[in-house]
Amino acid sequence: MVRPVAMPKLGQSEEEATIVRWFKKEGERVTKGEILFEIETDKALLEVESFQEGTLLKILVPEGETVPVQSTIGYIGEPGEPIPVAPALAKPAKKVSAPEHPAEAAEISRPAGGIRSRPSREVVEAPSAEQAALEAPLPTTKEALSIFRISPRAARLAKEAGIDPSPIAGTGPGGRVVERDVTAYLKAQGYDQLRLTPAAKKLAVRENIDILKLPSQGQGRITVADVRAAMAERPTPLNRMRQVIAERLSQSYRTAPHYFVTVSVDVTDLAAFRAELKAQGKAYTLTDFIVKAVALTLVDFPVVNSTTDGKSLRWHSRVDVGLAASMEQGLVVPVIRDADQLSLEEIHAAATELTARARAGRLNPADMTGSTFTISNMGMMDVENFTAIINPGESAILAVSSAQQKPVVKDEQVVIRTIMKMTLASDHRLIDGAVAARFINAVRQRLEETILWKRLA
Amino acid sequence: MNASYLSNLRPDFTPFELDCGKIRAYSFQGNLQSELAAGRINPQTAADLLEDMLMVREMEEMIVKLRTGAYEPLGDFNYRGPTHVSIGQEAASVGACGALTLKDHITSTHRGHGDAVARGCGALRAMDEERLLRRIPHSQASSHAELLEEALEEHVYRTLAELFGKEEGYCKGRGGSMHIADFTVGHLGANAIVGGSVPIATGAALGIRYLRTGGIVCCFAGDGAFSNGVVLESLNFAAQYQFTNELAGDYRFGMPIIFLILNNHYGMTGRAEKEVSGVRELARRAAGFSDCNMHAEIVNGMDVLAVRDAVRRMGAACRSGEGPCLVDVNTYRYYGHSLSDPRNEYRTREEEEAWKAVDPIRTFEAQLLECGIVDQEKLEAVRARVVERNARAAIRAAASPDPHPADVIKYMYTDTSAEEVPPQYKTPAIPGELPVIKRVNGEISYRDAIKEGLIEEMQRDARVILYGEDVAEYGGAFKLTKGLLEAFGRARVFNTPISEAAICGTAVGAAMVGTRPVVELMYMDFLLMAGDQVSNQASKWHYMSGAQVEIPMVIRASIGGGKGYGGQHSQTLESLVAHVPGMYVVYPATPYDAKGLIKSAIRDNNPVMYLESQLLYGEKGVVPEEEYMVPLGVADIKRRGNDITLVAWGPAVLDALKAADQLQQELGVSAEVVDLRSLVPLDTETVLASVEKTGRCVVASQCVTIGSYMGEIVSTIQEQVFDYLDAPILRVGAKNGIAPQSHVLEAVFLPKVSDIVQAAKAVL
Repeated sequence: MVRPVAMPKLGQSEEEATIVRWFKKEGERVTKGEILFEIETDKALLEVESFQEGTLLKILVPEGETVPVQSTIGYIGEPGEPIPVAPALAKPAKKVSAPEHPAEAAEISRPAGGIRSRPSREVVEAPSAEQAALEAPLPTTKEALSIFRISPRAARLAKEAGIDPSPIAGTGPGGRVVERDVTAYLKAQGYDQLRLTPAAKKLAVRENIDILKLPSQGQGRITVADVRAAMAERPTPLNRMRQVIAERLSQSYRTAPHYFVTVSVDVTDLAAFRAELKAQGKAYTLTDFIVKAVALTLVDFPVVNSTTDGKSLRWHSRVDVGLAASMEQGLVVPVIRDADQLSLEEIHAAATELTARARAGRLNPADMTGSTFTISNMGMMDVENFTAIINPGESAILAVSSAQQKPVVKDEQVVIRTIMKMTLASDHRLIDGAVAARFINAVRQRLEETILWKRLA
Repeated sequence: MNASYLSNLRPDFTPFELDCGKIRAYSFQGNLQSELAAGRINPQTAADLLEDMLMVREMEEMIVKLRTGAYEPLGDFNYRGPTHVSIGQEAASVGACGALTLKDHITSTHRGHGDAVARGCGALRAMDEERLLRRIPHSQASSHAELLEEALEEHVYRTLAELFGKEEGYCKGRGGSMHIADFTVGHLGANAIVGGSVPIATGAALGIRYLRTGGIVCCFAGDGAFSNGVVLESLNFAAQYQFTNELAGDYRFGMPIIFLILNNHYGMTGRAEKEVSGVRELARRAAGFSDCNMHAEIVNGMDVLAVRDAVRRMGAACRSGEGPCLVDVNTYRYYGHSLSDPRNEYRTREEEEAWKAVDPIRTFEAQLLECGIVDQEKLEAVRARVVERNARAAIRAAASPDPHPADVIKYMYTDTSAEEVPPQYKTPAIPGELPVIKRVNGEISYRDAIKEGLIEEMQRDARVILYGEDVAEYGGAFKLTKGLLEAFGRARVFNTPISEAAICGTAVGAAMVGTRPVVELMYMDFLLMAGDQVSNQASKWHYMSGAQVEIPMVIRASIGGGKGYGGQHSQTLESLVAHVPGMYVVYPATPYDAKGLIKSAIRDNNPVMYLESQLLYGEKGVVPEEEYMVPLGVADIKRRGNDITLVAWGPAVLDALKAADQLQQELGVSAEVVDLRSLVPLDTETVLASVEKTGRCVVASQCVTIGSYMGEIVSTIQEQVFDYLDAPILRVGAKNGIAPQSHVLEAVFLPKVSDIVQAAKAVL
């Protein structure tokens, strides 16, 4: 029996995903549990196993294509079995290169609602079946569609002129931009008065640089150098992950009133203890200690381990600490679950594994959802101090800077100690300054108390 | 008006008995000895008949063996063609061809290997050295016998090369087994349409009769064909009294054609006897078409001498103007329809054994031995020679070059025309007075423009003949040919029976032998009656013959519509013709083009479908009296414009011109009107250049829109100048329906000026 292979829905927020790679070709056998394909979602790369056994009869969605989750992307069955007629595949084409025309881009990125419909005359006027059969099907010319429409002739003229036609108002049937509109637009924009070298024009046409948007060079002619500059400045779209980051962090920064409290932690003793443990073969990272210290402190400060939508407060009964990790394409936040319950060794093991997977881009969506508090550690980046943006859905984030040797006053003596600054960013809607101060100092104290660590380790 | 033509029938109901006459069967009771004694055959000819039969059988047994890899000289060769072998029928093919002369012609069938080999051999044996050398110019032969032997092997080679689809085949691999032809020996083609060659043969006889070139046509066709409509039409066509009675004036000469029924008793499997016909003997068909029963006879088809005797006698009758003749040759096909036919569903092994017992080759060998023409040793030598010759030719043919893939549509059309008329046909005698065409301010009607073109071409070239239903005294249903009979005589202008398939099919055959027929279909709707002859024969023979033959014929068809004649007299069907490659299609819209195009059509050496609009017959326009031509395949810009292109043909051109006026007046829009004039060949250049300029296009015709040639125009435009389009291309045709009789409905059915205007506005 032929069964469809569906694009998995990996998390609540996922609407679509991209096929990165098929591990099987059409016609190859697939066993249950074998890795069949790899996908990329907003958050991660993921290998997907086959739920079925059989032959991969048909690949409907090739590598690189993006489709809504739960779409059929292929069929598994036995050789020779007929493949069902593929349902119209909703396909919001994902373009990597810069869209030629913003309006066009708007058109193609509309949400997947089936194949873009072309309302036909028959449908609009709903004539009788006999009438419909009698009439030659006329192309749609009168329906006003919200998409940008341009005739091939006008598009060609615009292309040859090296301009972006999307700002042009169409006067053709159905609002289509036709040749006369482009001609009028060029005239209105003073296109004829532009002075540019033939080579510059050729390059602009080839590279889809709108000649009308090239900066005016005063009395001089527009040259290839100007076009090249425009090419370099041409916006490129953010990758999917960056777009998500942009959206989520902007939202957080807009809705949660941030303020920042900084402390200096003296980690001299902790560093010494770490070296001691390392000598014993237990190579913990500073992060492991920080996670543990934060987790323990969060138990004491439930408001820091909570969520608000601005109207209500929700405390989390579990302490799931997110660790912001930087990757090539952006940022991921893998989560160490029940960090307050874990031993230092367990935290180390979990953090090591998650970090490795994050670097390889192989985190599952489940690995990255549901943190209740986030730590952003820039200790390796040699920074004095920094602040962080709260992960949406949480009430605070701890920004950990580099441990640096500093002259400090201790027992009225200037001595060299290893100092690490930490800044807590808090959502003022939930956390008042005093609470933040108490919380961050409690974390500081835990990190400075080597007795505690000796007990825990 | 010829008073003797006028019918003067009286009612006469006196009782009488219709005597259908007698048809003789198996009257030949001679044998080789008696034929030798009577001097009707010489020993060499007798030996040749045997060798030719052996050649046919060897070739066909080779085909059977090739299918199983059992033909040793070509163990690995993959023969892909058909396997309609005629083994068992050799006496019919060889006996008949043995009675023909070099001047004669044959047509053949899908089971035609025997006819092709026999005709070739018979012709070669009749050729002098000069003719033989023309076929094999590089021969080093030192005697006539050697030359003949080389020519025979070359004949086998070119036949096999054709069967194998090779460039050196008779038809350059374009025809193959079922369409093999060798026009140099008067083989006008085997035919894969059962009965398809019979009107062609009849037309060839018509042409020979008219040109008085001598020779006869032997039309081979199977028993199955003699239930086919076009065959019955052809028998009637050939037997018309007008060729032999007073209407023929001083040239009372019957059609020189022998209809030879290769009666092997099975159509594919259906039996003429007791199953799919109501006559025991197919020869009885002849009684239905001529009062002399076409001199019909039934002949023993397993006896090569009996067949030869019949065809000799009938040939002599035809040569003296006593044709047509019909001979029912009783023979047998040992194999099935093809090798995939096991035969046991419809006949017994005992039947087959009984026929094999009178095998034409074995019985004739016995006679040759008996008469001492050959001894056993000599007989073995002949058999060996045939086998070895065939093997050598087969090996050569299999190894010979395939046609070049790039040449897949080479030979579709010829680019020649009758620019020069051969001296014997120049300035033919005009027995009567030419009709006078009156001009008013230099204008004549569309109807008269066509007529004037016809008159000019008939004056110019005696090969141009004109026939169709009611075209003679009556002058055609639309009076277009009125006066042509009187001017040119009945030899060149005559009525036909209401047999559209035979009208078009005979034109193909007549064109093949050197005439330039112009035939008339009263309404284009009747084209469908002649579908095979137009689409499978006229359109295909230039290509299928590997450009051996040209088919310079014109089919004039008038198109109705708008006259309330209903669904079967109102159709605009040029899209059907244009869809089948091989025929030109032209459709003038003005008197000027009508005259110029009919002249070009007649002179062109391709078959041309010349369409005439009944609606336009009365339209007047300036037509020069002096000679001019309108080239085929060249569109005409009837009005210049810049904003939109209106492509049209036929009456839609006039509508488009009116629409253009209206667009100018109402919107100040300048429309360019392109009149295609020719649909095939299509002048894409003019259309594309116009659309490149204007960016908009509406295509208009009177065709029913769905599936029409308008779509082809639209596709061509969008494929080639998509980037120049400023709007979708719209079509304006008739509704996707059937022409109604009701005037009210028909007005809605047909496209109007306002429809074109509306379509133009929709895309402006």
